[in-house]
Amino acid sequence: MLEIVNLHAKIEDKEILKGLTLKIDKGEVHSIMGPNGSGKSTLASILAGKEDYEITEGDIIFNGESILEMSPEERAQEGVFLAFQYPIEIPGVSNSYFLREALNSIRKSKGKDPLKPVEFIKIAKEKIKDLKMNESLLNRSLNEGFSGGEKKRNEILQMSILDPMMAILDETDSGLDIDALQIVADGVNALKNDEKSFLVITHYQRLLNYIVPDYVHVLVSGRIVKSGDKSLALELESKGYSWLEG
Amino acid sequence: MGNFENNISLEFDRFNNNSADSWISSHRADTFGKFKSLGVPKLTDEDWRFTNLADFSSKSYSLNNKASDIFDKRLIPEILKDIDGHFIILVNGKLVEYSSDNFQVHDLSKMLQEDECSFKNLIKGSFSDKNQDFSFFLNSAFLDRGCFIEIDSSINVEKPIVILNFFDSNAEMSLVNHRNIISISTSSSVKIIEYSFAVNDIDYFSNKSTFFYLNDNSKVEHLSIDDGSKNSNIFSNIKIMQGRDSNFTTDTILIGGKLFRNNVHPILNGEGSNSNVLGLYLSKDSQLMDNYMFVEHAKAHCDSRQLYKGLLNDDSKGVFHGRILVHNEAQKTDAKQTNRNLLLSNTAQVDTKPQLEIYADDVKCTHGATTGQIDKEALYYLRARGINEDLARIMMIRSFTEEVLEFISDDILLGLHKKVVERWFVESNLISGD
Repeated sequence: MLEIVNLHAKIEDKEILKGLTLKIDKGEVHSIMGPNGSGKSTLASILAGKEDYEITEGDIIFNGESILEMSPEERAQEGVFLAFQYPIEIPGVSNSYFLREALNSIRKSKGKDPLKPVEFIKIAKEKIKDLKMNESLLNRSLNEGFSGGEKKRNEILQMSILDPMMAILDETDSGLDIDALQIVADGVNALKNDEKSFLVITHYQRLLNYIVPDYVHVLVSGRIVKSGDKSLALELESKGYSWLEG
Repeated sequence: MGNFENNISLEFDRFNNNSADSWISSHRADTFGKFKSLGVPKLTDEDWRFTNLADFSSKSYSLNNKASDIFDKRLIPEILKDIDGHFIILVNGKLVEYSSDNFQVHDLSKMLQEDECSFKNLIKGSFSDKNQDFSFFLNSAFLDRGCFIEIDSSINVEKPIVILNFFDSNAEMSLVNHRNIISISTSSSVKIIEYSFAVNDIDYFSNKSTFFYLNDNSKVEHLSIDDGSKNSNIFSNIKIMQGRDSNFTTDTILIGGKLFRNNVHPILNGEGSNSNVLGLYLSKDSQLMDNYMFVEHAKAHCDSRQLYKGLLNDDSKGVFHGRILVHNEAQKTDAKQTNRNLLLSNTAQVDTKPQLEIYADDVKCTHGATTGQIDKEALYYLRARGINEDLARIMMIRSFTEEVLEFISDDILLGLHKKVVERWFVESNLISGD
């Protein structure tokens, strides 16, 4: 499904990714762990199509096609979803209006008819109930004044409504208490099936108790230095990252 | 004296040459004298430092003396056609047609000819000469057109009153001077839509004033849309005298004009009154839109909210001058002023200036201004959800223009505000017309 090949990327002359290679197949859950500044969030942003980075070498293949030249919206329409580490507040754009436009944009790209507001609200209300979120969040401005936990849950709400093929979770667990973490994990697990893939980027092993990865990779200084199964996460938890830093 | 002043003096002498000893004649001479002593403002004038009137004052506008007696209904703009309201139509300032219901409509020209005494009572001493600019005095000196709407006490005018200020081809190179006066008696309420527009791209000088007199406990919602010709010079004075417990909201949308000076001046002159001064200036090409807000708190326990937003494209320029004056007896004043600007191009610019004068000691006054471009991070966030860049951009621009709507309760006014903004988006090629 997703193949990252020898990816080199820089921002303002600072090289951040230095030959990252990773292959994620259909139905798999991969986790990337790593110390601060290792390039985890850069990788997430590049996958979603943020334009601040310059790719100097390598490729990103999604469903057999390079997506390097695709805009953020084209990638989203192809089925890539990034749950932001720091969701943006957008005053004046209501959450439900935003979600409906997003869903209809994706439907349109697939040649489907747009959903009418009433049809959309029905779906949104079901999903918001599953995530134990307050229904009033739909009518509020997008992320504006949301608590940290509400913002993270709102990312998962967007994910479950947009139903992507490849979801990237960028430190979705940071700042969440155990109850919120459980709800977020339940939301992710409900979406899991043989067709969809997940890339879970996290700083802490804790999340992986709830979203169990098939593979764990350690990112240090822009390169994957070690890969393994979920036991690697536990090892990192007890030993830290220093033994992997060269 | 400049070209403009010379010319307008000749026009005035012609205008005021008969019945020299009547009250009206001396009133005109008096106010024209006040205009002359002020002159056309220069950049050195603090209240005009961002607006250069050199081009305007080099022009020779003659006083408009041709006003049609009829109005072709087909000229009513598309977005007003569905509105179920009481239409009052003025062509070049002259009342040509109106419908009324539980309120009265008078023609100022007729009043002046037939009942000078009533005319005198209506206009004398309504707003003090203090703090007025040249356009205000010119408006008084040349006043012989406009309408007077009178609403008796305890009346709710259900449907909105729609005042159309139309400028036809006879307005070309002329000064069109008129005043619309709306008087609302105790415990009455009304919704007023004012819509100004012109034929083609004619060049005229519109000097219009709209005066509101709100008696105790009355309520007005006013939506003013000014879509004058792109070659016109427009000076507008909206003045509001508010009685006790009165409630006034104005939402002013500027679209037209090459140069636009928008003076809005509510006087909270009764305890417990409330004023919402909202506005949107939508500028493009090389338009200049200068907004001079002057909120005057004269009595205690009054609230005011100013929310003015500018959306500026191309090489256009905006000015926001937000003045709040709190008199010494206006204790417990709660005044808030916000000005936000969104620049859609790298060459558009805005000057914003708050001015607070507070002579009471127990008041709450806040002000804030922001100017920026569309937030790139927010744009990326929307795009990362599959929303195309153009749509993401317009979603953000649209939301920017809708913030003022939370102050408006009437659905017709709300709907019209949205429609007129959408139309501007199409005209500005921000969205396609289909």
